[in-house]
Amino acid sequence: MMTDERVLQGDKVRLRAREERDLPLFVRWYSDPDVRHWLHLSDRPDVTLESERERFEKARDDPALVVWVIETLDGRPIGNVGLQGIDRHHGRAELGISIGEKEYWGRGYGTDAIRQVLGYAFAELGLRRLWLITDEDNERGIRCYEKCGFVREGLLRNHRLRHSQPLNMIIMGALRQEWTEAGS
Amino acid sequence: MISESILEGQKVRLRPVEERDLPRFVEWLADREVTRWLAAMGKPPTLEDELEWYESKRGDPDNVMWAIETLEGQLVGNVELRLSPRARRAEMGIAIQDRSQWNRGLGTDAVRLVLEYAFDDLELNRVELTTDEENARAIRCYEKCGLQREGLLRQHRLIDGRFGNTLVMAALRDDWRRARR
Repeated sequence: MMTDERVLQGDKVRLRAREERDLPLFVRWYSDPDVRHWLHLSDRPDVTLESERERFEKARDDPALVVWVIETLDGRPIGNVGLQGIDRHHGRAELGISIGEKEYWGRGYGTDAIRQVLGYAFAELGLRRLWLITDEDNERGIRCYEKCGFVREGLLRNHRLRHSQPLNMIIMGALRQEWTEAGS
Repeated sequence: MISESILEGQKVRLRPVEERDLPRFVEWLADREVTRWLAAMGKPPTLEDELEWYESKRGDPDNVMWAIETLEGQLVGNVELRLSPRARRAEMGIAIQDRSQWNRGLGTDAVRLVLEYAFDDLELNRVELTTDEENARAIRCYEKCGLQREGLLRQHRLIDGRFGNTLVMAALRDDWRRARR
């Protein structure tokens, strides 16, 4: 079963499906060293229009993946949020988010976007658990995830490399049960 | 890919998986007592499913897989590393599928061989795995091999109609080398 990117509207952001015309924007975001720093991308080859197009095409055929573009309410695209590895049997998926426009960092746009995705995942897709991993030193990210109801579940030692140096990552999870109880 | 390296330990030998192993896997994977502990398992596979699985692993450069056999040459299970080369890490999956061979230290011996290969030959920094919180036998084996508990994923897996927690464990190359000295 394919899962589609329904338009989701929050207080600060609107989530919509990606389109081919967004690709040059993604290349700019994911070429920015400050953005890459916090992503698994930091030790990957450069992002090009071709590599983004390939990723976009592949994603279209993946029934376990949804990716939205995060827009401000006046229509400016500022980042991506998505779910991957959507597993309907076990009722879980992995959440990923990046705000590519740096001037929107630390202003609650990511938090609003994640809340929309949590609501969609739990109420519409019927999932029971969302999880994510993030760099141990990504304090801004961790604060945002905690505000959204994610709980630290473990510390993965030397889980990835950043500029060739081993880096710990934190794994966090949010459960539908807790989300419902919190009255979100 | 199917590893071409043959690794020999005290109790087991790891060798390339061959097509002729697949009927045994199918037979064992029909047993709920075996698959109950396997995260990746849905319906019991048919021989055709296993063939497809085998071909896909064979063609995947980020996957290294072995058959586990006793030193007498009796097939008992399989083990694989799913590599994330840029992160210098791998996820291990192991199954002693022949239930009559449980509790004899075969898994422990196999895990040690794979860790040694991962750290010394592939020069990985980290080998991780996940297992059911309730899988006490496996957890004991992994701890003996030097893996440490790193986290508990709540309600990560549906097992027989209820949600079970999943444990994440990992071994680091630095610890591994230190322990061997």
